[in-house]
Amino acid sequence: MPSFNIDAEKDITYDAIVIGSGISGGWAAKELCEKGLKTLVLERGRLVEHVKDYPTMNLDPWDTELRGSLTPEQKAKHYKGIRSGFIGTDTEHFHANDQENPYTEVKPFLWIRAHQMGGRSILWGKQTYRWSDLDFEANAKDGHGVDWPIRYKDIAPWYTYVEKFAGISGEPMGLPQLPDSHFLPPMELNCVEKHLKGRIEKQYPGRHLIIGRCAHLTVPLNGRGKCQNRNRCSRGCPYGAYFSSNAVTLPAANVTGNLTIRPFSIVQSIVYDEVKGKATGVRIIDAETNEDIVYKAKIIFCNASALSSTQILLNSKSKRFENGLGNDSGELGHNLMDHTYRIGALGSVEGFEDKYYKGRRPNGIYIPRYVNLKDGPQSDKFVRGFGFQGGAYRDTSRVAANQEDFGADFKDRLLQPGPWEFFITGFSECLPYHENRVYLNEDVKDKWGQPTLSIDAEFRENEKALNAQIREDAVEMLENAGVKNVQGFNKEHEMGYGIHEMGTARMGRDPKTSVLNAFNQIHAAKNVFVTDGACMTSSSCVNPSLTYMAITARAADHAVKELNKRNI
Amino acid sequence: MNRREAIRKASVAAGTTILTPALLSLLQSCQSEPRIDWVPRFLSHEEAAFLGAFIDTILPRTATPGGLDVKVDVFLDRIIAETYDEAGQEYFRTELNELADRAKEQYGATLSVLNDSDRTAFLMSEEKEGGKFRQGVWGTPVGEGEPVSFYRNLKSMVIWGYLTSEKIGTDVLRYDPIPGNYLGCIPLAEGERSWSL
Repeated sequence: MPSFNIDAEKDITYDAIVIGSGISGGWAAKELCEKGLKTLVLERGRLVEHVKDYPTMNLDPWDTELRGSLTPEQKAKHYKGIRSGFIGTDTEHFHANDQENPYTEVKPFLWIRAHQMGGRSILWGKQTYRWSDLDFEANAKDGHGVDWPIRYKDIAPWYTYVEKFAGISGEPMGLPQLPDSHFLPPMELNCVEKHLKGRIEKQYPGRHLIIGRCAHLTVPLNGRGKCQNRNRCSRGCPYGAYFSSNAVTLPAANVTGNLTIRPFSIVQSIVYDEVKGKATGVRIIDAETNEDIVYKAKIIFCNASALSSTQILLNSKSKRFENGLGNDSGELGHNLMDHTYRIGALGSVEGFEDKYYKGRRPNGIYIPRYVNLKDGPQSDKFVRGFGFQGGAYRDTSRVAANQEDFGADFKDRLLQPGPWEFFITGFSECLPYHENRVYLNEDVKDKWGQPTLSIDAEFRENEKALNAQIREDAVEMLENAGVKNVQGFNKEHEMGYGIHEMGTARMGRDPKTSVLNAFNQIHAAKNVFVTDGACMTSSSCVNPSLTYMAITARAADHAVKELNKRNI
Repeated sequence: MNRREAIRKASVAAGTTILTPALLSLLQSCQSEPRIDWVPRFLSHEEAAFLGAFIDTILPRTATPGGLDVKVDVFLDRIIAETYDEAGQEYFRTELNELADRAKEQYGATLSVLNDSDRTAFLMSEEKEGGKFRQGVWGTPVGEGEPVSFYRNLKSMVIWGYLTSEKIGTDVLRYDPIPGNYLGCIPLAEGERSWSL
């Protein structure tokens, strides 16, 4: 028997339905349940219970016969997802089935999905940074997209609130462009990273090389253990050391007694009542039985992931909303953003041959944005900016394979650490373009006969200019820091690889140009909230998940207050 | 009775160590025949014997186990059999045989019977061909470069099979599945081994 209540009831009206159980859905469930709302979470995939359902969490390479390699059948099942380079037998079971869930790439776009309880919160990169007013004011200042209806001061207390519970490690720096979180102790830089930090910060006043800020516990918190530096996170952590819905928010929601989570529930649409002028429930298809069921609720939180939430809204057609629920503005499905990455530089570092490290730190270094700040250098080639992630490590296998050598001495060296290598890869902001969009494709149906998404989006001139600068700066910084054999790279990859899809149901001040208001309510259906990546009005250059958490907690607080005032 | 046994028995019966022409031809044919003590799933016996000789040249047994001691040949055969699609398998077989044929053409015999200096000379000539593996960022190679030769790809697979074997991973390299703390700067003595994971 699962420790979660999975028996959803058709005949009652829930206080709240949450669609999706990933990072933002988990937070919505926790907040709504803790505020006393009887909450039904609808999850498209199976249950994944913390620890119990992490079958690969302790496996060494030799414990699996193919040592991580996928079979042709597994590759076919993930024929799109394997482009990411992230799917092995250790995590294959947490990646969505591309054959059963097709999507159409009008232009190349990689859409990584995770269809089970916890969603991509099991697999995510765990880099967690606050956004700042540099981000929230950006659209208003340079005129791209529409103005955010909130500012940093509106969300700052909610950042603190979610950080205290999620557990974010990092070092306070006092940087205005990257506000400090409520931090647990930072992880440690290794010898080479410390050395390069010194060189870069001396050479480039205003640039900083810091340890990554991440959702890993460096001290125990609320019964969760601290990180053991195994770096096997995406298989699920037996210690609960990193933040996931499975380890953190859903168990918290469950202890309230207010949570029901229904697995295998594919949301078909949100039901809108024209007489009442609001949504009254959610129509699902049971993934196993194909049964069509409607569950009723007073409020609905859409947390299916940016594109999936958008797909549901587009598919929620009624007389009032012929083009999809909340789509009066025509912006639903538009303004799709992602971060560019895999543009940067790498090389080798000499002089530390007698130094090594112990442990596999699931984190790297971060170089916060330094261009186009309020004070400081401005670019005439692009608006917005970028930051870098990276790290130093000693590699053996690749270096050995490349050596023009073999035999006994070669084998001895193969058993010793190779040279130190260092890389940085930029993450740049992507502007919200109306032309970058998703729309329903009635010609391609999924396994359950539902229309699928077509994705028509690409990086444009500003992103390309940012990328060119990233590469140039990365090479120059590494060379000036004394890194040897520096090689710049620019994968010029398509959108989606950042796995930071955002913006297709954006927040805004004006219902004519946006889908959601300042509290993530659909302008014309105020009991429907969208608090996943779809709500984002701009993309910043820093990782978005922490902001989804804060925005969700803030919206849930508002929802309960409005419900209690009978405003919704 | 296998061939080796047949030769031994024949020479015992002859009561001499002098090789008769008949015995010599038997021995030669034996040396050019595959001699493996396992049943491949994908490779032919001859291909498996070549792969074995290749692995043994790249990673021979010394004070530490060699590639064959940890069954890298058996493992790679299984990888080709179970994780390659048909086109990939066909490509692998063709390339492997071309590599084997080059050794025969240049040195007149199959790799497994070549003496050490011929083996070394052959592999060293292969080392000069093609590009090198590029550094990667989170599993994706970046930058530009010439394509990597089949030889180097195979060598890389041998290294992978060796380093991820249980014997090497737990007994030879330093095995620490649950490190606990991360220490970012510790001394490394001359000759000290890597962490296995």
